[in-house]
Amino acid sequence: MVIIAVSDLLSNDFPPVISSLNAAQVAGLDDPALLAQCELERPQADGARRIGLGLAGMYCAACAITIEDALMRVDGVREVQVQAATQRARILLDPQRVSLSRLVAAVQQVGYRAWPDAAARAGNERLKERRKLLWRLVVAAFCMMQVMMLTTAQYVAGPQEIPSDIWRLMNWACWVLTLPVMLFSCGPFIQGAMLAARQGRVAMDTPVALGVVAMFVVSMGVTFGAQDTFGHDAYFDSLTMFVTFLLTGRWLESQARERVTQSLESLCARLPEAVDRAVAGSLAEQLAGAATESIPISSLRHGDYVRVAVGQAFPADGQILHGHTEVDEALLTGESRAVPRQPGQMVVAGSLNLGSPVWIQVERLGPDTRYQQIVSLVHQALTEKPGWVKAADRFAGPFLWVVLALAAGGALAWQWIDPSRSVWVAVSVLVVTCPCALSLAAPSALLAAAGAMARQGVLVRHLDSLETLAVVDQVFFDKTGTLTEGELQLVGLVSAQGALLSSDGALFSHPMLDLAAGLASHSQHPLSRSLVQALIEPGQVSQARSDSAWSDVREEAGRGLEAVDATGQRWRLGSGAWVLGESTLLQMAVLPHGASARVWLQRMTGDDVHEAWGFIFDEAFRPDARSTLAQLGALGLNSALLSGDRHDRVEAAVDYLGGSMVVRIAQAQATPEDKLAVIEQSQRQGLRVAVVGDGINDAPVLAKADVSIALDQGSALAQSQADLLILGGRLGGLPKAVAISRRAVRVVHQNLVWAAAYNLVCIPLALAGFLPPWLAGLGMAMSSLAVVLNALRLSTP
Amino acid sequence: MEIMYILLPVSIVLVLGILGVLAWAIFGGQFEELEQEGLRILRDADAEQANVDRHQD
Repeated sequence: MVIIAVSDLLSNDFPPVISSLNAAQVAGLDDPALLAQCELERPQADGARRIGLGLAGMYCAACAITIEDALMRVDGVREVQVQAATQRARILLDPQRVSLSRLVAAVQQVGYRAWPDAAARAGNERLKERRKLLWRLVVAAFCMMQVMMLTTAQYVAGPQEIPSDIWRLMNWACWVLTLPVMLFSCGPFIQGAMLAARQGRVAMDTPVALGVVAMFVVSMGVTFGAQDTFGHDAYFDSLTMFVTFLLTGRWLESQARERVTQSLESLCARLPEAVDRAVAGSLAEQLAGAATESIPISSLRHGDYVRVAVGQAFPADGQILHGHTEVDEALLTGESRAVPRQPGQMVVAGSLNLGSPVWIQVERLGPDTRYQQIVSLVHQALTEKPGWVKAADRFAGPFLWVVLALAAGGALAWQWIDPSRSVWVAVSVLVVTCPCALSLAAPSALLAAAGAMARQGVLVRHLDSLETLAVVDQVFFDKTGTLTEGELQLVGLVSAQGALLSSDGALFSHPMLDLAAGLASHSQHPLSRSLVQALIEPGQVSQARSDSAWSDVREEAGRGLEAVDATGQRWRLGSGAWVLGESTLLQMAVLPHGASARVWLQRMTGDDVHEAWGFIFDEAFRPDARSTLAQLGALGLNSALLSGDRHDRVEAAVDYLGGSMVVRIAQAQATPEDKLAVIEQSQRQGLRVAVVGDGINDAPVLAKADVSIALDQGSALAQSQADLLILGGRLGGLPKAVAISRRAVRVVHQNLVWAAAYNLVCIPLALAGFLPPWLAGLGMAMSSLAVVLNALRLSTP
Repeated sequence: MEIMYILLPVSIVLVLGILGVLAWAIFGGQFEELEQEGLRILRDADAEQANVDRHQD
């Protein structure tokens, strides 16, 4: 938020004081459907509702209090909680007396921005879960302390030092203090065990619940006079301590999981709920002063003109019509960096507008946007259970039966050795076994790894593929669209006489390029975009070029553009055949460089072909292609090119990419069948093969590979079936992903070994009577905590 | 030792009371924003206005 704040202050377009809502915005905000979307939970009995607001512009914790006060002053608001960390407010209000627009206005009055937050419901559920868990933990811990205090007196007192009626009173007090722990804090364990029992299964919670109930029943029997049956020792201290340790472990685990979830959620920055749309009938040319209406995002339609304020997320994929700005596309690239955007360029939904207010025209909405596709991919990866996790779960079932049998056997055996300790031993065995460590070992590590990769711009589609990625030895790259940019780059300018102007300085300062780029900015053809891009790329944002110098612009599909310049001359920019005419084009083709020019610019009125210029384009390698291959080499991976392109071009590409040291040409001019054959051959040699492609043309090749990796190609993201997706064309994420996956597999192995060793050591100790129940509880809590914390190491780079 | 008959029940009642206070704090969200709760006591009307002014400059 600091970045946004600073750019707010620097931007001249943006007024420092937030203007008050206009009538149209008020009407949009007071839509009852919008209020219903923001509800966090069901309305309370008296009709009060709790809603969520998203906030922007907060700098510190004091801001949260300022906003709280401002909201509390609104008539009809009963309760407000503002969280500075998540930039969210939870408000309990009376819907009869409060409207959303009044809340938003109240926040804006004190200098912050607010919007209805319909996406807060999932976060609210998690918040409630976390609070409840903390409450269970606090109850258990506090009761444990009191029980300890009373029990300590019993421990240190000599024989007959405490009269027996006081002793019994102490036991009763311990029993009363243990009741909340049993009835409330243990709830999740007992419910889990009962649910499993009803389905005829044994769950992780079963031994825990059995142990806890056994301890409680025995201690209660001792307390209420059945000493003959149950012996003389009450276990209230062990019981409460065990439950506290267990809940502490769960709470720390839930905090850790929340961190991973939040990092994935923040990656998918939320879309705004209300957008400022130009009123119907507005013209694209006169948007600067156009009137707007605030509408819910669900009412947005294809082709609408939308004004996006600074600090707001773009509501849809679209094209900038008016205004120069910078956007944060961390969603796509994993890197928080302001990227300049100007009229004619595309912005994607979910990215943040950081520079100045802009107008966009909506091109893709809702599920078609890359934002939604990325979000659904992330959710899919989060909810999917990979094969080896399922295997661990299957293994846990029999393991638990063995534990139950061992506990029963232990109790029986100790009946002969020392009957007073038989319950104690059985409870220790039940408590000390930790199937949780086994079942947490893999998923916690894989999930943390997926989160770490997402921050590097690599999305994992199938968690299974992480294991394979870690052992890959051979990577095949497609060339076009994978190692090279999807768009072509301007490399040369040729005059009608065949003179070549390709040295950078002369090319980019050539007046004809300026002219051509100005005309090209009226078109969305890929080559037009490359022409416009050619002027932007050297670093300066070219704003001097006046688009308005052209009038009467006409675009003919498949041919080019025709327009009249300021002096009334007619120009054409487009294919050679259309601009120059077939016969002239044939003359050009014999000139040294004439044949390579794909786009021509010519003045059409009154002059001849000598006034024509041709533009030569070539593929541009991605800036990080070379370093990526070098890094993969350093990780011990062989890289090879698998390209359908001409042999000399592939050779040239290999030269550029670092010679034969790193890159091996697998096959040039390869047909898809050839590519498949090459991959199969590598696999027959025992190599694990990864294929990196653009995900669409290479689908069969990708399917054949052990791990398939696709670079996202705009809207086609959802159709790609690759295991991993590299967002924003940042190849550099690939070596990082390989490194992370290797660390993840290492962590999984460590976790599995640790869990197995722990159980193998502790169960015999418990059976031999060396582990009192409280120590067993501590051991179990610590062993699952160790597994989770070990997995979390993956989230740190 | 007879005092124990009073002290023990009193201590249990105290425990329940303290648990009640903790419940209020947890469900009031005080453990989610530790820094914010500490600042709340330092706030007064002037400082609040200054905070608003500072951020609107």
